[in-house]
Order: sequence, then structure tokens, then C-alpha cells
Amino acid sequence: MKSLRRDLSSNPQAANVTSKIFVRSTKSGKVQKIVRELYLRQDIPCSSKICSACPTTAPADANGNITPFVLSEHPAGTSAFPRGHYLVPDTNALLNGMDLFEHTGAFYDVIILQTVLEELKNQSLPLYNRLLALIKTDDKRFYLFFNEFRLETHVRRGPDESINDRNDRAVRTVAKWYTEHLKTTAKGKKEKTIPTIVVITDDKENLRKAKQEGVTALSLSDYVAGLEDSDRLLDMINESREAREAKGARGELFYPEYYSKSRLMTGVRAGNLHQGVFNVSPYNYLEGSINVSAFDKPLLILGRDNSNRAISGDVVVIEVLPKDQWKTPSTKLVDEEAVTKNDNPDAEDSEAVVTERERKALQEEVKKAHGTNSEGRPQPTARVVGVMERRWRQYVGHVDSGSTGAQDSSGRRQQNVFVLPMDKKVPKIRVRTRQAADLLGQRILVTIDAWDRDSRYPTGHFIRSLGELETKGAETEALLLEYDVQYKPFPKAVLDCLPSEGHDWRVPTSKENIGWKGRRDLRDLLICSIDPPGCQDIDDALHARPLPNGNFEVGVHIADVSHFVKPNNAMDLEASLRGTTVYLVDKRIDMLPHLLGTDLCSLKPYVERYAFSVLWEMTPNAEVVSADFTKSVIRSREAFSYEKAQKRIDDPSAKDELTESMRTLLRFSKILRQKRMDAGALNLASPEVRIEADNDEVGDPLADVKTKAMLETNSLVEEFMLHANITVATKIYSTFSQTAMLRRHATPPPQNFEELTNQLTKKRDMRIDVSSSRALADSLDRCVDEKNPFFNTLVRILATRCMTSAEYFCAGAHAESEFRHYGLASPIYTHFTSPIRRYADLLVHRQLASAINYEGEDGRAVVEGVMTRNRLEDICRNINYRHRNAQFAGRASIEYYVGQALKARGEKMAATSMDGGIEEEGYVMRVFENGVVVFVPRFGIEGVVRLEDFVLPTDAALRTVAERRELVMRRQSDFDNEEYTLRVSNKGQSETDGSMKVELFEKVNVNVSSVKEEGGRGAGKRRVRILILGNNA
Amino acid sequence: MAAQRQASSASQTPLISPAELAYLYTSLSLPDGPIRPDGRSATQFRPLTAETDILPGTNGSARVGFADGTQAIVGVKAEVEKTVVAAEALNLSQHGAEDFADTEGDERHQSPSAGHGSWVQMSIEIPGFRDDDALPVFLSEMMREPLVESVSDGHGGSDDMAGGLKGRLVINKRWHWRLYIDVLLLSQPLSYPLPLLSLTTHLALLSTKLPKLKSQGEEDPFFDDDWNAAEYLYPRSQLKSHLSPTQQVRPPVTLLVISVGENVVFDPNREEIAVADTVLAVSVTRDSDSDGLKLLSIRTVDPPSRLTQPGVPNSENVATLGSTAAAEEALEMNPSTEEDIPGVWKPRRGGVKRRTIAKMLKLVLEKGGVGEEVLEGLEGVEVG
Repeated sequence: MKSLRRDLSSNPQAANVTSKIFVRSTKSGKVQKIVRELYLRQDIPCSSKICSACPTTAPADANGNITPFVLSEHPAGTSAFPRGHYLVPDTNALLNGMDLFEHTGAFYDVIILQTVLEELKNQSLPLYNRLLALIKTDDKRFYLFFNEFRLETHVRRGPDESINDRNDRAVRTVAKWYTEHLKTTAKGKKEKTIPTIVVITDDKENLRKAKQEGVTALSLSDYVAGLEDSDRLLDMINESREAREAKGARGELFYPEYYSKSRLMTGVRAGNLHQGVFNVSPYNYLEGSINVSAFDKPLLILGRDNSNRAISGDVVVIEVLPKDQWKTPSTKLVDEEAVTKNDNPDAEDSEAVVTERERKALQEEVKKAHGTNSEGRPQPTARVVGVMERRWRQYVGHVDSGSTGAQDSSGRRQQNVFVLPMDKKVPKIRVRTRQAADLLGQRILVTIDAWDRDSRYPTGHFIRSLGELETKGAETEALLLEYDVQYKPFPKAVLDCLPSEGHDWRVPTSKENIGWKGRRDLRDLLICSIDPPGCQDIDDALHARPLPNGNFEVGVHIADVSHFVKPNNAMDLEASLRGTTVYLVDKRIDMLPHLLGTDLCSLKPYVERYAFSVLWEMTPNAEVVSADFTKSVIRSREAFSYEKAQKRIDDPSAKDELTESMRTLLRFSKILRQKRMDAGALNLASPEVRIEADNDEVGDPLADVKTKAMLETNSLVEEFMLHANITVATKIYSTFSQTAMLRRHATPPPQNFEELTNQLTKKRDMRIDVSSSRALADSLDRCVDEKNPFFNTLVRILATRCMTSAEYFCAGAHAESEFRHYGLASPIYTHFTSPIRRYADLLVHRQLASAINYEGEDGRAVVEGVMTRNRLEDICRNINYRHRNAQFAGRASIEYYVGQALKARGEKMAATSMDGGIEEEGYVMRVFENGVVVFVPRFGIEGVVRLEDFVLPTDAALRTVAERRELVMRRQSDFDNEEYTLRVSNKGQSETDGSMKVELFEKVNVNVSSVKEEGGRGAGKRRVRILILGNNA
Repeated sequence: MAAQRQASSASQTPLISPAELAYLYTSLSLPDGPIRPDGRSATQFRPLTAETDILPGTNGSARVGFADGTQAIVGVKAEVEKTVVAAEALNLSQHGAEDFADTEGDERHQSPSAGHGSWVQMSIEIPGFRDDDALPVFLSEMMREPLVESVSDGHGGSDDMAGGLKGRLVINKRWHWRLYIDVLLLSQPLSYPLPLLSLTTHLALLSTKLPKLKSQGEEDPFFDDDWNAAEYLYPRSQLKSHLSPTQQVRPPVTLLVISVGENVVFDPNREEIAVADTVLAVSVTRDSDSDGLKLLSIRTVDPPSRLTQPGVPNSENVATLGSTAAAEEALEMNPSTEEDIPGVWKPRRGGVKRRTIAKMLKLVLEKGGVGEEVLEGLEGVEVG
């Protein structure tokens, strides 16, 4: 009987067939044995330009071209490898040193094995993606070699061989093969010119075997040590592994162990454990919260023990703690820098997870929770028992100068330093570096590698320096990195998608031209645009004209970006990735290349432009009779700024048609606005200021900081844009019931407002009614304080923070009743009016074009690529994220600018020997036990005021940071949690004498200045300091 | 209908004349031991070839071929499945020990480690038969039953096999493996296919591996993705000499035994079955409890000899007597069938002697007997 078994190893005929067997567990719980047959080939090229054999055998594509070879003919050499070398890293080398491989100073000509790539994918998806990106870039010369498919380099797993050993062997086999292969095939056959193949591995066993087999292999650090600038490069190696080896099995473990993965999954499925995103309170780094689907309100996570190595943003699994451990949220400001300033990054043995100081900070909270307080009921708390997904990224920070003190800057010795991340929610990171002295005073980029149970802080490594602290370039880049804004210049592939005419592109003159197909000629309409001053990317323009029947035609014309950005080309993909244009004070990070954004798409005045128009017929009472959508060609008559438009409208002498049409628009907008308000739209406030840069050096730098003025013309534009958005939303939803791109603002759960309601009741005897948006709008209107005109705005700001944020979604993702936009009180909404700066609008344009059967230049509707819901949901997720980050980045940028302006002013004042700082009005937003949060409307900033920064009569003269810090010891406070008041006095003094009492919502006089921390904790860091001068003004 | 009827009996009755049957019967029932048509001894098996792991996509597989050209392939697949726990089983503790006693009887009162017979599914495909024909259904039940009922309480060698195969399939209280055993007879059933299928199934189960469990206790199961780390369904000894093979729980084998007169014949071929007095399917297994073999089940198989036509003695033969009248007379004179006439075939009727069954079982079960011989032989087939 002939055997049926396919025993491949013993059959020489079947040498090119092999199989790969593994177990696959599917999400649905199936466990399958998978057998894949591999057919080995010999035409996979080595891709070295030296090789003369591979170009003749390499597989060609349909056009007969072979993929260009990657590895250089004359690769760079080092002192150890003067003939040049190709690198073959193993998986661990990439895991530990991905930053190195991305470094532009070294690591060229790298052969990435398929084996390694797959292993990396299993171990770390982010690193895998980074490696793929590296392989794609041409200049680094990374070659992905499919070693598993090539006959000579395929390795069969031995009977008792572990997968790791087998993969290591595969790496060595490839190295051997390359050496042999290049020797025989090198052009010119000059032995001397053949580069060495260097295996990079940190596995000792692998190194030993390599030596045995005559393969050149080095550990990552040994290899890097032989390069130029090795100190800097060595710092970029992942710390975790090395550290773990060095420490070995140390006794003390600070943190509880995580549950096993399967236990977590079981628990989450069974509902005993909960999964959610871990968030850290901005006021107290020891307090985190987590929203899980099972409960309405977030759960509290108090202390390092319970947060158990989770870092803000991680997806974690938590376990609810027993009721006797429930606590009230903290009423205390706890700042990591202040509490842990004396930690020594080297002395780990003396560390406890919860230091005495931290414990004290927590104790007081417990006291509070168990106090007589009726209102502050203990809230459920939880502890982290596992991490599903680390969302660690690269963090911008600076070296804590206090932590380098111990060893001086004695040469190039490696030492541990703490890096304080810019993001206060992230704990300090322990970084080993050889260049501590150089890094002081620099903005640096670091990453977290690990957080082991035996380490109080996460360990990470240095990636690169952005430049000196407080330099414009470094700080701007820091902001962009911190908020994950894609700021690199557009790649060539994207720029290739632009019209070849460049700035000379014109609307075709002949109407026979294909560009006119399906477009309406609206060039004779008196259209104008109204935007902020200096606006270059003009998205929208308007017109209004009377119709013979007594009604009016009103038109909103939006830049026709979708004409220039075709679906799924490189530019479209780049734009969908960027999601939005990011506005910083002095910089704009565009979503679309400059040429489109500020010229070809922009509805500039006096030139013809393609537009997408929404036209309504309205009665004189602004009732919509009909709506029409069309692609069009327009010629804007004028580009106004808000102010100019306002002036023109207000000018009684202006009687021209354009002005009249603007007046009509204004009148209509007021009616529309009233209707919207009647429907229950909220008038929300955000603490925004505007920076008008490019002022001269001489003037007061603070003069640039302006609160946003609201003119009638602002709301004119806003109303019509809202109206256009709603009209378009209805239209695309009627055509694409599943895939329409919409925007919703979920009704906030009433419990979000609980605290604010409490505060208002207590302090002002006011109520806010959250039963509907209408009720909320009305009750907000009633929150007025005669003596305090800003009070209403303050309440609105606080109310806004209680709400959820609006989000993009695709129509199929929610029931129609959930489409509602709460803030605008509209049953359906989308974004249509700013396609130059928002990707969502661009998609909506495409959907609308398809909905009105616009065929486009090539005779096809261009909705391909937006028809599948999955893809749309991916896009929504991304643009929601980008949108949020863009807002944060913008705000942070303003904050930074205000700080710099204050600094500049301070320096100027210092020259004339006057006290730095400026006196302003501030409002108390939150009261803590040891400080308050004050909002300063003038600068749109809010800041923490600690006990020492209350200026009491006895210490009015003390202004420097150091002097004030001395005061901490003498201060005492009396905090009333129910009344939201805080009385600050000096120890030993009577209550009335020289004390200050502040309460919530109160207006206070503050002194705002920019100070630099000196000595001690967080040295070198600049912050805006607010001093409370008094409250009886 | 004829085919149906034959299917339910031991095999398709070969077309053998009564005279041939009588000859066969006589030579098999010789008091000094049977003389078998193929010259084998009474306990000798037909030569067979076997190999395992022939189907890479399965958890375990085997193929066995007899020299007469009959071949069978068995593939075993395993799937993780959620255990449906009846509400009653959850408050087992309340019921106490009284219910515990009859775990077999009442499925609702299982102990946590007890599996369920329905977790093993067997399907048999025989060329020329529909899957709901009597033969495949009967065969599969005949083989499945000893498989799932071979319970040992695990006091012996290995705890892994506590509760037998059913117990081995339990992952935890909420999860278990489901086993699909697909048996495929490649050739026409020349002889009764039970021994062939049973041997093949046995081998396939021996080579069956389950992915290694990584999770613990009551967690949702989570497995090692390395197939090389997978574990045998029936644990194999690491060193052959270290653990005595008798200590190891093995899947059962079902042997076909016939009795012809006073003689007992193993592994009968088609012709031998045709004249058998009794056909027994005896399932035995090796158990961790005791040194010897354990008898799991005995089934009697309807011997086809009952359906054969009797031979007619010359004395009664009309053809030889020449007249019908004489024949009738002869019939009256010898109300035939009562007594045997040597050399004339007469279908067997009536029961089996207790002594004969005891003898058959003894031959199977005794130390160094046929059962052990077969199991050892199968053990010798290289697995993996």
C-alpha cells in the first residue's frame, strides 16, 4: 500500500513544497488548525545592486518591468566593516531599536526578513506599521526579503525546535545565503567590494550560534557603539529589555500583577470586569476616571496602586472595588511635580509605589469621604486589573533638572534622569541617557518602553531633541507632536495630483468645455464672501436677490473642492488622514496643498471659480419655499472682513445692489437665528481669544490678544452656513440612508449636570433645567448676575463642559432618532460648508453631487469609495479624532502665545524696574481644598492658584516664585465643600485678620505673569502664574 | 429490500451454495481446531497496513488497508463549544450525593468534570449506502458507544483521562471540545467492515492532538498557537519503557468474533461469517484502573447464515428420487430439519450456549490474549 502521507522532508521531489501549520483562534471562539502549503521559488531577488544574477530571474510585472533593486552598490561602512555592510536585524532588534532604524544618520541598506516582519506584527502592531512605512520610503533603502518563499532560505522547523530558535536560524540562514550569493554573483567578482552581511540580534544564544556558523552577528548596542555619534544613538535603544536583564529577579514588586489575558476576556464577557479608556484628572494626577458601558457615570480610580501602571489613554480592564472603599472625588489639587520632586531616578530600592507624601495626599481625601458631608456621597471606585491596549505614543517633555543633580555631568556616563512630559496626565518617565547634560533645557521627544511591576515609573528612551525650550520652532513642533498633527510637507505623490497648470488654472472660457458639464453659470450673481480678516482659504460666499414673485433667492456657494480632489488618489488619502486643517497662532497646517486651499478652490474675489451652490427661494419672512443644489461657476464681487461688511451695511449712504443684498441676508439671518433659538438651540460659550499676530515689536505684546468680538455679520455667515448644512444633510440622507456622512451632538445625560446644578443652587439659588435643550437654553438665559455681567458666560462655559462633544458618523451607525444635534436643536446636521479645511465636508460634497446626479467630467458620479459603510466609519473615527486634536492644538497654541506675550511684557517691564505681571479680572471656576481654578477672560486662560499665590496683606510685597514658595509652610486654609468657599490665612493669625475668602463664581482681581521655575522641581519650565490680589473690587 | 435486509445482518451474503456452506462449516468446526479457507489460525488476523496523520488538516487521522483491498480512512476534528448548563446543574450542591450516583442515567446531574456523550459525533460513509441506511447508522452507534462510555475514574495512572474520553473533552465548566469522527470506507464492504473501521478509528484517535490550553480554570479558553505544542487526546508516554503501556488509557477497539460449532474464530472473512453460529462484536479497551483489559460491550450481530437456504439431503432430493410422491413421502417420514445430516447444510437456529460466549470472551480478554495482542500491534504503529 502506497503511503498517502505527504512526508515532504524525505522526498527530494517535493523539496519546493512545504507546509506551515499553526492554530488559529478566531474572534467567535473557534479554534482551528490551519495548514498552509508553501511552494518555494527561486526567483525572489536579493535586490542588491551588486548582484548580476537576480535581475535576470526576478519576476516581472505585466509591463515586463522588474521592481527596482533597493540595496546600494556601495553601502556605508563602519570602522568594523570598511567594505560596507547590509544589516539583517532580528525581531528583537527591531522591537528594541525601531527609533534607531528610523534615524536618518545611520541604518541604511537593511534587509528585513518576512519572518521578522510577521513576528513583529504579532508582537506590536504600531511598530509593524512603522516598519512598513520605513520599507516604503526609498531613501532608507530597506528591503523586504521574502525569505520564507525562497527555496534556499526557507527553514524547516526541527522536531524539538522552538519557534524562536527556528526564526533565529532563519535569520542566520539568510545571512549565510546572502554572503554566498553575493560572492558568486557580484559584478566584476571583486571580493573586496562585497559588503558584509551583519546580523543584528540581542539573543545571546543566537550570537553564539552565529559565531559557530561563521555568520557576522552583533548585538544592537555593540553595533551602535561602533557608529559615529554613538552616545546619542545608544540612548534610542529601548530600555525595558536591558533593564530587566540587569535587574534580574529583584525582590520588591510595587504593583499588583495583571490578570491573564484569558481571565480578562472571560471577566469582560461575563460582566464582572469592565473595559474602558483610562483618563487622568487634569487637577490631580493620582485620580483617574474611566467610562464603561455598564454604568452611566464614570468610575473613579484613586492612587497609583489602583491605576496600576495604566497611562492616560490606555484601554484597560477594571474591577469595581467593594463599597467600603468608595470615595468622593478629590477636592485637592495634586501635582506630580510637587509631590514627587525629591525622587531619585537611580535609587530604586528605596522606592515605594505610594510614597509617604502621596499617601498623605490620599489620606486627606479619605477623610473627606468619611466626613459628615452629605452632598459629596462616596462614588464607586475601581482598580485596574489588566491592560487591553497600550496607547503609548511619543511624548514631548523636558528633563527634570533636579533628577540629574546627583551625578553632575561627569563625562559620558549613562545615568537615569526623569523626563517630565508636557502632558500632565502622563507620569514622569525614567530615561537612561549618556547625554543628560546636553539635554537639559531642551524640548525632547521620548517614548515609553515598559512599565514593570518593580518600577515606580515607566521606563522609556530618548528619541530626539526638538530644540531649546521656549524657542518658537521647538514649541510649535512639540505642540504638533503632542496632538498628533501630521505636519510634514506633502509628499510628491500628493503634489502630483494637483492640476498641472498650477496657479494659472482658470475656469475654461468655452462653455463647451467638459469642465462646464452639469454646471450652472452663476457668474452674473452679486456674490460676496465674508470672513475673518486676512483669510486666504475662502470656503464660502453668499448672495441674495429679489425674485419677480416677491420672494427672494438666497444662495450659499461653497468652494468646489471635490472637483480637484478625486476619490482615492494620493491627495484624497492624505487629506482623509489629516482630516482637518489645524490653525495655530502663527502657523496653519493645511489639509490640502497650498495651491488648492488658498488659490484654485478658494472663492477669491474678482475671479471665476467652481463652486457648489445651495439655492433657496425664501419668502420675505425667511420661510423656505424650495431648495436647489447645483454645481456652478461664480465670480465673487468682493471679499469682506466681518468688520468691513458690517461697516458697509451700517453705512446709510451705500445704496448699491451688493450692499442691499447683504442687508437682505442680514435680515434673513436674524429671522433664521430667532427660529433656531425658539427651537431650543443653545448659545454656548467657549473661552476663546484671538491672537492677531504680526504687530510691531515695539508695542505691548499683549495688545495682540483679543477676545473674539461677535459682530452681526459673524452671525450672518454662521446662520446661512448652518442652514445650508441642515438642508444638505436632509438631502444626502434621503439618498444615502445608510452611508450619508452626518454630524450629531448627543443629548447629554442629565447626571453630567449634577455638579453644576448643585453649585448654582448653593451659590446663586439658580436652577438649570436639563430636561431638553430648549429648557436648558432658557434656564441658561436666566442665569444672570446683576453685579457680575460675565457670570452668564461663565455658566455657559461650565455648562458646555458638561456636554458630550459633537461627532461625525455615518447614517447607518445610529437610529434616526439619534441623529439629533443637541446644541443646534436640529434633527439632522452635517458639515458641508468648509471643504477646504475639513475632510468631512469634502465627502459630503461627493455624496451631494451623486445625490443630484451630477456626472462630473468623466461622465460618472464620483461616489465610489464612499459607498461602503465600513470605510466611512473608519474615516469618521479618524476625523473625529483629528478634529478634537486640532481644537486642542489650537487652544494650546494660544495659551503658549499668551504665556510668551506675558513673558515679553514682563521682560520689558523688568527693564524699567517695574513689577512683572498684569492686573486683570478673573473668575473662580472651581474650588479645591488647597487652591482654586481661576479663569481670566481677557486672555482666555484658566489657571490653578495655590495657597501661596493668594496675596495677603502681610506678604503683598513678595512676588518672586521663590519668595512665594516660602509661604507655603505658613499657609493654612479652611475649605467648605458644601458652600464652595476657601478661606486662606497665615498660620497663627486670627481668622478675620489678614485672611482672604474666595468662593465659587466670584470675581477676583488677579495678577497674571509668566514665571520660570527655578531650582528644585521641574526647573526650567515656564508657566503662567496667577496671583489672587483680592476680591472686594 | 433485499439489500436492506442484508445490510442489517453481518454482511452481504456471498452467493455460496448450500453444499459449499456445509463444507465450510464442517472444516471450521473441526474439533481439533478450525481449518480456515485462507489457512490462518483461529486467532490470527489478516495482514494489514496502517499509517497515521495522513490528512494534514485534521486533528488526527489514520488509514488502514487489509490485504483483500478494503481500506478505510478516519479523520478526527475537534471544535471548541460552549457547554449548555441546565439551570438544575448550577445548583448541584443542593441535590447532594444521591443524584451524584447516577451520573450516567441522568444527564442533567453531571459532575463538573463529566462530559457528555453527545460531544462525540461519528459519521460513517460506506460506498453504496445512504447515510441513513441501517448499516452505517448501526455501525457508527456500535463504535461510538464504547468510545464515550469507556469511563475510568482516574485513580490509576493519569489524571488526564479522568472520566474517560468524555472527561478529556471538558475544558472547564463552561467550555468543552466537540469531536467529529468521520469514517470513510474507501472500498466496497467485502466483509463486514466493523473490525476495519474500528481499528482505523482507534489509530486516528491515538494520533489526535488538541491545541494546548493556555488559560486556566474557568476562564474562557485560550490556546497556544503553536501546533507543535498541541497535546495528544490520549496522552502518550514519553518514554516507552518508563510507563508500562498497560497503564495508559486507550481508545477502545471492537473485535469481531464468531463461533462455529465449538470453535472460536477471530477476524472472520466474508465466507466464514456466512456459516457462523454466532457473530459477536466485542469492544475492549485498556484502562488505567486495572492491569488487564476492560470489556466495554458485547453486541450480537445477526449471523447471515440464518438467511441461507438449507441444503437438501440426497434422500429427500426430488431430483435424485425421481418422483414428487416419493419426495413428499420422504418429507413426511423425516420431518427434516430436526437432526443434522452430515455434509448437508442447515441454517443455524436458536441461541448460543453460555459456554461458547464465555470462551469467546476469555480469548479476547485473557492476559496475552487476542485483545492485548491487537492493542499492542496498534500501539506499534508510529504516530505523529
